[in-house]
Amino acid sequence: MARDKIYLEEVFPSPFMQLWLIFRRTPVAMVGFSCFIFLIILAIFAPVLAPHSPIEGQLNMPLLPPAWHIDGDVSYLLGTDELGRDMLSRLMYGTSLTFGLSFIVVIISLVVGVLIGSFSALTTGIKSSFLNHFLDVILSIPSLLLAIIIVAILGPGINNTLWAVVMVLIPQFVHITRYAVKEEFRKDYVLASRLDGASPFRILYYSIFPNIVDRIMSQATLAQSAAILDIATLGFLGLGAQIPLPEWGATLANGLDLFYIAPWTVYLPGLAILFAVVVTNLVGEGIRHALKLRKER
Amino acid sequence: MTELLKVEALTKSYYSRDYWFNKKLTTVLDSVSFTIDKYKTLAIIGETGSGKSTLARLLVGAESASSGIIYLNNQVLKSGSYKQRCQHIRMIFQDSGTTLNPSLTIQQLLDEPLKLNTPFDEKKRTDLIRQTLQKVGLLGDHMSFYPHMFSGGQKQRISLARAIILQPQVIILDEALASLDPSLRSQMINLLLDLQQQMGLAYILISHNFGIIRHFSDDIIVLSQGKVVEKGQTLEVMAKPQHKVTQKLMMNQSFQLRSKK
Amino acid sequence: MNLLDIRNLSIELIHNEQSIRAVDKVSLSMKEGEVRGLVGESGSGKSLVAQAIVSVLNDKWHVHADRFHWRGIDLLRLSIPERKAILSRDIAMIFQEPMACLDPTTTIGEQLAEAIDETQLSGFFWQKKQQRLTATIKLLHKVGIKNHSACIKSYPHQLTEALCQRVMIAIALARQPILLIADEPTTAMENTNQEQIFKLLASLNQLKNMAILLISHDLENITHWTNTITVMYSGQFVEAGTTAQIFNKAMHPYTQALVDSSPMANLHLPAKSRLMTLPGSIPILQHLPIGCRLGPRCPRAQQDCVKAPSVSNFHGHKVSCHFPILQNPKLKKTKRA
Repeated sequence: MARDKIYLEEVFPSPFMQLWLIFRRTPVAMVGFSCFIFLIILAIFAPVLAPHSPIEGQLNMPLLPPAWHIDGDVSYLLGTDELGRDMLSRLMYGTSLTFGLSFIVVIISLVVGVLIGSFSALTTGIKSSFLNHFLDVILSIPSLLLAIIIVAILGPGINNTLWAVVMVLIPQFVHITRYAVKEEFRKDYVLASRLDGASPFRILYYSIFPNIVDRIMSQATLAQSAAILDIATLGFLGLGAQIPLPEWGATLANGLDLFYIAPWTVYLPGLAILFAVVVTNLVGEGIRHALKLRKER
Repeated sequence: MTELLKVEALTKSYYSRDYWFNKKLTTVLDSVSFTIDKYKTLAIIGETGSGKSTLARLLVGAESASSGIIYLNNQVLKSGSYKQRCQHIRMIFQDSGTTLNPSLTIQQLLDEPLKLNTPFDEKKRTDLIRQTLQKVGLLGDHMSFYPHMFSGGQKQRISLARAIILQPQVIILDEALASLDPSLRSQMINLLLDLQQQMGLAYILISHNFGIIRHFSDDIIVLSQGKVVEKGQTLEVMAKPQHKVTQKLMMNQSFQLRSKK
Repeated sequence: MNLLDIRNLSIELIHNEQSIRAVDKVSLSMKEGEVRGLVGESGSGKSLVAQAIVSVLNDKWHVHADRFHWRGIDLLRLSIPERKAILSRDIAMIFQEPMACLDPTTTIGEQLAEAIDETQLSGFFWQKKQQRLTATIKLLHKVGIKNHSACIKSYPHQLTEALCQRVMIAIALARQPILLIADEPTTAMENTNQEQIFKLLASLNQLKNMAILLISHDLENITHWTNTITVMYSGQFVEAGTTAQIFNKAMHPYTQALVDSSPMANLHLPAKSRLMTLPGSIPILQHLPIGCRLGPRCPRAQQDCVKAPSVSNFHGHKVSCHFPILQNPKLKKTKRA
């Protein structure tokens, strides 16, 4: 019989690897991706990396401008706020609050949304319709109002922000999962799997999920940029993170009164929020662009 | 000759919503009966909408019949139980692009029916996959490739490998050869003929191309609006069609054959 | 005078600093009023040749030709906009899946009216709407659609494939082209509909003396409708000649294999016997053989076949092979084309 291996030098990547290779070749997406990884590392290791404590301030050094000013001090690189707390440390701890929390929020709502969406796609009739639309009521309420309602019931705090944003994001994942799974179900290879005797869960896990994971990922990045903005807004309004947590929105609100004498207390957290949102959007755009290119091939 | 597959009075009808709460009863198949033996090929022809694909799906178990019995080797096949059926009746689909899961390697693809239906360990499964791939004319090396790397003809061969890997007795070809180029079609036909001799398979061929039907099938049944209007041996029916529908279908075919220089 | 004269057309794809020749030195010529078939399996590059003629290939394909004449005008010397103006006026093209080629959001009537040339209408602008309507109805009658009122008001998804293909032909006829390129027009249809479309094309050819280039992968399907046939394999020119020459006295081993795989030739074979085929399959673009691309599969291949063969001409029957199958061994070549 013929030799077994003749294509020694060729590598045939899986569809997921193809996506990664195309993604790697887009420089803008790679810049976004490395900044994203940087933010994640910062969020995890903030207690280790931050030079000063974000909560205790040196009361003898209030409102120090950033180090590039003539009055600035290099040990407080980005200046201090009105209680003498170092801005750099506050921003770093804030990363784990705003950015890290948004990441966790997206993961929770992704898991719950995908589960509900898959169940809805597997069943038909009234049960399926019910599952598809029962969280749509939440879609119609803006996340801010929802948070105010939850705060009115449970009291303010960052945990309640988390629940509010999770609930807002779940219906998006339900819809997109249901649509993607229904589309895959119509394809013949799912029928072939079913005829082989596979149970619906096995079909879902082995045949369908690998093919829809890229669409869910691109939706997750969209959801995350929305989550970052929501958490920051709620912190800004005082409904989310409470004093003295150094969440970016709360820090921004703090500095608003002192804008004319110490502008850095306002623009630095604002720039941090902008950076996080832009980076998330770049990664999302990179994934969508790579998906489109892969389909063209 | 022992009958391999016998179908008796198979009927399929379903309710569809007409308007408001009225339900309309649509009969797709009406009391279809036929038999097939080993080493034989049965062709099913009919115009679009006559129920050919529904019949194929009923036989392979994708849908359950409203009434009627299917006997395999004189044993009744229960509808809705895939495990019993998939070892004996397998199907090859028309569109090779969507029959293979794009995220799985060929090895994982062929492993699935083995894992679900046989007690073999991993080494034996890999050997069996390699043997099956060689039987359909591909290399054992192709196990680690993904479906998008193959051409249309090779994808159909992989579908064929998936069909024969459980050593079935009946294979249904639902327009499987329609999308192939003529030379690839001839190669597939040669391969199918070889396998039929080696493994004693019975084929059910659903096609529009009468050249293939004339060459490849022994018996033929003609479906029109869910009913069997004519059946018999292929050469006789094609030479002297009795029913109106058959005559119309044959007229187009003979137009093509007659007009060659 | 030849309507279309293309010599040594090559189309290359530049991908990751490698250039792949998808079409390798193909020559094609057509006379006025001729129906020519272009036969090749998938991967033979026949659609690429058609798209290169109409100049719709995008930038990743590089097209070269030694000669590209249209009605005596040398198109290679013109600039690209001038070339496109001449070609779009005189050549029309129809495609494989007609329902996918029509706009699903507008009615047939509007799409046909869009295709009608401004210059054919005369009169003041308020009369033009009525004139467009009459021109649309005339076009639909020309392609054999009698009840035009129902057709004009419907959307593409409400019609059958065969009807959509007729509408496509009507749109193609709107500018009164001299050459119609049909890229596998009937592959997705059943036999009865195929016959109707071919009859329509044949009648258009006879009535209006319109040349037709019929592209297909099925040799025996088009032999009834064509005067001459060109065969391609894997981007290379294989054989060209009149339909009778190709079907009855094929000279290239590949053409012989194509003829053998048609049902007509198999009528005399006993049922359920093996069909005659070439072993192997079409080479993929990344692994094209050097020289004659049929080499690895050809039963008559010898060492000379690693060099690309040149085209030899036997009384108008052109073949590109080092060792053609000659029915009459004493047949002399008329000239090296």
